[in-house]
Amino acid sequence: MPESYTLTEEEREILQELMNIAFGKSAADLADVINTHVELRIPDIKLMPISELPAYVQEKIKGYTNIDMVEQSFYGRFKGDAVLVFSQGAGRGLISLLQNDEHEALESDPIDILETETLMEAGNILISACVGKFAEMLKDVVTYAPPMVVFNKHYSEAISLNHDKKDMAAIVMKTDFTFTKGDVSGFLFLITAQESIKWLKEALQSFMEQYE
Amino acid sequence: MIKKILIVDDSPVARRMLKSCLPKDRGFELFEASNGKEGFEKYKDIRPDLTFMDLTMPVMTGYESLEEIIKYDKDAIVIIATADIQMKAIKTVLDSGAYMVLRKPLKEEDIQKALSVAEDTLLKQKGSVNA
Repeated sequence: MPESYTLTEEEREILQELMNIAFGKSAADLADVINTHVELRIPDIKLMPISELPAYVQEKIKGYTNIDMVEQSFYGRFKGDAVLVFSQGAGRGLISLLQNDEHEALESDPIDILETETLMEAGNILISACVGKFAEMLKDVVTYAPPMVVFNKHYSEAISLNHDKKDMAAIVMKTDFTFTKGDVSGFLFLITAQESIKWLKEALQSFMEQYE
Repeated sequence: MIKKILIVDDSPVARRMLKSCLPKDRGFELFEASNGKEGFEKYKDIRPDLTFMDLTMPVMTGYESLEEIIKYDKDAIVIIATADIQMKAIKTVLDSGAYMVLRKPLKEEDIQKALSVAEDTLLKQKGSVNA
């Protein structure tokens, strides 16, 4: 890995704090919609070659046999992929939480469509609020590709390796969460594209300058 | 007057951000702790006039540390500085005796206002002790 693609301890700590703030915002946005509390954990930050990414993600989520996922790419100077991994059946858990919120139309729709739409909506809120807040703090604006929902995958298939990119590096920001109702838990991975790393390192320094 | 301030946060970056928002000309004595347990121990040791407390921390969370501090000193002024801005989190800490909740990332003006309000409360507390 090129030396410029290493993270100093300070950069890792700034990223951890920014991820903490960004995910706090997205959890609050989702909690407003589904009337539950999202328990937060301390984020984990790693820089690694993309070739190591599948094994890293698989290790983190190995407690789940099967998973549902929402994937969404984001584009700006901060560019990459967000992967939201839920324990399988999370869609149904979320549906029950939404039905408590008087979303009457849900009862008339087929359950698989509901699950897809519910996961997509919850994923969209969590990802866009988190990535958006993260980018905003670093004075960037991002746009998003439409979210993609993947159902019932074995955990070992969570991340497939794009061989064109295997020599590249990625900053992986991971946070895990549990909803206090609805038996829903999961992980959010933000995978920063290699072309964003140089910008990100400079943006982190600029961010901290306002606190000196 | 506020003299001693305790900052409890596991993130050295967050502590640095908070310290930079404090006025430099007030001669505050600053103390730091990196988890809730250490925060409670330091609280008992130094009896700060004001404590800033994060919520999501290893070893002992800010929720638990706040409860311990309030159990130990019901007049403790503990300001929660957190990224967890969910209604339930805010209600829980206010019910546990937190003085107020500030949302991260902290802003200098929010800290200034918090210091000013906390100082009024400290004066009242001292007034009622002296009366």
